[in-house]
Amino acid sequence: MRSRPLMTARLSTARVQTIGAGPHGTRVTFPVTGGSFEGERLRGKVLPGGDDWTVKRADGVIELDLRITLETDDHALIHMTFEGIRDDDARGAPYFRTTPRFETAEPRYSFLNRLLAVGTGELRPDGPVHVIEEIL
Amino acid sequence: MDSRLLMTLEVAVVGAQKIGAVPHGTRVTAPVASGQFEGPRLRGKVLPGGGDWTLLRGDGVLELDLRLTLETDDGALVHMASFGLRHGPPGVIAALARGEAVDPSAYYFRTTPRFETGHPKYAFLNRLLAVSAGDRRPGGPTYTIYEVL
Repeated sequence: MRSRPLMTARLSTARVQTIGAGPHGTRVTFPVTGGSFEGERLRGKVLPGGDDWTVKRADGVIELDLRITLETDDHALIHMTFEGIRDDDARGAPYFRTTPRFETAEPRYSFLNRLLAVGTGELRPDGPVHVIEEIL
Repeated sequence: MDSRLLMTLEVAVVGAQKIGAVPHGTRVTAPVASGQFEGPRLRGKVLPGGGDWTLLRGDGVLELDLRLTLETDDGALVHMASFGLRHGPPGVIAALARGEAVDPSAYYFRTTPRFETGHPKYAFLNRLLAVSAGDRRPGGPTYTIYEVL
């Protein structure tokens, strides 16, 4: 499938909240305290206040559920969510993949409302990094 | 983005239920009558009873919410759920609405399927993300589904 780069998002997270063993698995919440994003068509910062609400399933795969607000350098706000999985047992390397979606009211960025995207995630010491591509 | 073909899925929809103007847009539910899928690692049929719960937004984008049960040729059941978007130039969308055959490159029809199964042979489906390109043929959509590597 054809794709093109959309942005790289770097998130800062605070100490995780381990809710523990719930009906669906082990619930761990990652508060997002900030960060930045950069791409050819948009760049800016990640506002504090979002989270990644994760559940580790019985088969070891972690399901991800992120909601954050982005603010572009020209002051447009963008609601960003993703679902995805992180499989640390995948052969070769962790399989950390997401399907981000966006909502914005700013006409300059309304193209974000009309696309699907795929992200490749990586855990780095200072927080997760997501390389996000638009599905063409 | 690296990907590899997972399957081609053809779905027959029959008897669209036009619920109408609801708070988020125009709701049309498309029941799935039948279908089939084929790929290097799995093949089989679509069981009746699934559907595509669609919502036409104010900006002209159609949101799709497809849920199906697949049955492989060796009897495994696979739950599939797929969120998607479809949009295009007004003339192209009108032609689709009239049931005409339209070149799929003329519009954007993309989905992100997810799978769940209890069958060990197909458990790999539980551990992958997928993307698809849709082709809205007159009898129903065909999806070319790729595993995201």
